[in-house]
Amino acid sequence: MNQDEHRVRGVDHAAFPTFDPVATVRFYRDVLRFPVVHSICAAGWGPEQHPDFIHFFFDIGNGDRIAFFYYFGHEPVGDPTARGDAWARLPEGTPEFFANSRHLAIHVDSEEDLLEYRRRLDESEWPVEMQVKHETIESIYTHDPNGYMLELTRALRPVTPQEDLDAALTIEALCEVAARDEPTLEKLLTRKAELIVERAVAWEHDRTTEPSVEQAAAWEHDREVEARVGR
Amino acid sequence: MTAIFVLDVPENDGVVRVAEQDPALVVDKVGPYFRVTTGDTDGEIVIDRRATGCRHAVWYSAVAGLQDARIVQHDKDALRAVARRAAR
Repeated sequence: MNQDEHRVRGVDHAAFPTFDPVATVRFYRDVLRFPVVHSICAAGWGPEQHPDFIHFFFDIGNGDRIAFFYYFGHEPVGDPTARGDAWARLPEGTPEFFANSRHLAIHVDSEEDLLEYRRRLDESEWPVEMQVKHETIESIYTHDPNGYMLELTRALRPVTPQEDLDAALTIEALCEVAARDEPTLEKLLTRKAELIVERAVAWEHDRTTEPSVEQAAAWEHDREVEARVGR
Repeated sequence: MTAIFVLDVPENDGVVRVAEQDPALVVDKVGPYFRVTTGDTDGEIVIDRRATGCRHAVWYSAVAGLQDARIVQHDKDALRAVARRAAR
């Protein structure tokens, strides 16, 4: 990947509101044993009537962080029995799959690590609700004390180069189909078959033949840049 | 020609194996994809899920492309694709 072009380095922090900081700390610090790594105690300020608040952070590995806002005196709105979470309650009739589509997935390296987190959760007030082998990952799921769905996941194998090609063709077909009326999976797969026929043979040929002079020069440039920045 | 495409990854091996063993189907490669067709006939492409040994998540995401094909069944029992003009 071109280091000059793609310069970001993962999640700095993903932030969520909480109305129950005690349970949130119990869940993330005591049950999952994610270290508390930062917090801010702030008096309300600014043009609006902003409440005083605490912003606190847990390490989720790799130096990445999940963060919470607790606002003093600010009460939740909406029907607390409705589907949803501390950030929002969803309208009646919102299906469960849609509510759960927004979630945070935290990576672990091995089955042993996944099962260790499963053990910690199962011994707590927030046991694992589901353990699933998907296409190429295995995941456990629970909801945190704020109703946010949390996934912990491990890769069953490394991603292969042909999956990157497949993803690129899917996204190209998706953008074409979704820009027109009544997008369907069938329309996407029909367009994708055309893209496969157009591109897949050439893609494989390019991977299995000697790089061109220009390509070799570009790779050499990338290697020099990587060496300079110490990666 | 009615065809379905299946990406060449280990999880899809069962789908490809079942197709290869079916005398009514022809399997070839297009780059890193397997192409499963009915050959020169106007028949259906039918794959029995249990014979593939695929777990559900793999089974329901195994199809990468449809060429002159419409899926008329894709459930826990089978995947069935027919020519678009013959689709009902």
